[in-house]
Amino acid sequence: MSKISVLILQPFTTKISGDFDHVIIPGVEGDFGVYAEHTPFITKIRPGILQLFNEGSVQKYAIHDGFVTVDANLIRILCETIEGMDEIDLSRAEAARQRAEKRMKETAEADIDFRRAEVALKKALVRIDLKKNESL
Amino acid sequence: MENIRDIKIRIDSIKSTRQITKAMKMVAAANLRKAQNKILKARPYADYIELMLKVIRFKNKESRHPLISEPEIKGKTAFVVVTSDRGLCGSFNYNIIRQAMEYISQNPQADIICIGRKGFDYLKKRTDRIIKSHRDLFNQMDFSVSVEVASFLLDLYLLENYSQINVIYNEYKSVIQQRVVLKQLLPIQPPEDDTIHPLDFIYEPDQDTLIEELGRKYIDVEIWRVMLESSAAEQGARMTAMDSATDNASELIGQLTLKFNRARQASITTEIIEIASGAEAIKS
Repeated sequence: MSKISVLILQPFTTKISGDFDHVIIPGVEGDFGVYAEHTPFITKIRPGILQLFNEGSVQKYAIHDGFVTVDANLIRILCETIEGMDEIDLSRAEAARQRAEKRMKETAEADIDFRRAEVALKKALVRIDLKKNESL
Repeated sequence: MENIRDIKIRIDSIKSTRQITKAMKMVAAANLRKAQNKILKARPYADYIELMLKVIRFKNKESRHPLISEPEIKGKTAFVVVTSDRGLCGSFNYNIIRQAMEYISQNPQADIICIGRKGFDYLKKRTDRIIKSHRDLFNQMDFSVSVEVASFLLDLYLLENYSQINVIYNEYKSVIQQRVVLKQLLPIQPPEDDTIHPLDFIYEPDQDTLIEELGRKYIDVEIWRVMLESSAAEQGARMTAMDSATDNASELIGQLTLKFNRARQASITTEIIEIASGAEAIKS
């Protein structure tokens, strides 16, 4: 089976580049899988888990926002933050979740702080999700 | 003739100044390398965002999205002045400020956003149009810092009736050369080459959302790039300035050492003459 390359571009570094069998990406309109020979495609990323499959093994990353483009067997993921399993601290993420939930209860919905807390909560949930699934 | 001791003190003080300028040159060189590295690392991301924006724009020539098209109603204008936080970097800040003053005299209505302490310190005495000043950003050169600046500018543009935002900064050409650049930041200028990208992408969700998001990201990386360029240029300017300061100190030390030796020689000669004439006096 032919492979598809993944390149992760960040404003301050270029991270993973490698070949994979298939990749699952959390897009704004739902998670989607990409195999080799995919049609050219652009979408926005929503907070979620990026999964890279290669020969039976899988690498998982928490990703929070950005873009993905698929073009000529190359997936480019443009994002500001992406975290691997070992970069996440579960207790810190839990604390962040509680903090964000508390803040959201205290502030009005139109408030800028509310939206900030919402973003923080989403990030924390993705991280927790990733960590919890590690054992599965 | 100057006192030998005075000359000696001056030589010592210049020597310690030379040590400082030499150290500052080394530090600037190290920081320059760091900044250059960051510029290189930022390039793939920045280039690709720019390319995507070009592709989407090419496909949507009619799009009237505010980020990429000239607004119909002329609103306020603002410009961003990027200087350094610290001095001792030659004419680095002077060049920017001179251009900025020229711009102000041509556009007296423009509001000013300062990045860097030096520009703010100078301009605050001469104009009351500064609406925001970011200081000490260069100490912690982090992408999140530039995102903050960028979102402030985007809010100005999208929500507060500004129709044009320009930026003026030093571009890094080489260690000894900086170039002052005045550039339009918003609305995003049309790309220079209109080459057709061969691929027809499928867009999700829709093109306007993507233009908005890509446009925002583009401004984020533009600010990041501007700050990195400016910081590299600053370090380059400081390196050259400190290098010539070190050279000047060495030259001065050379001259003073000569003077010192002459004075020492003269005092020895006087002393010998005194002894000789004393001996002569006893003999006779």
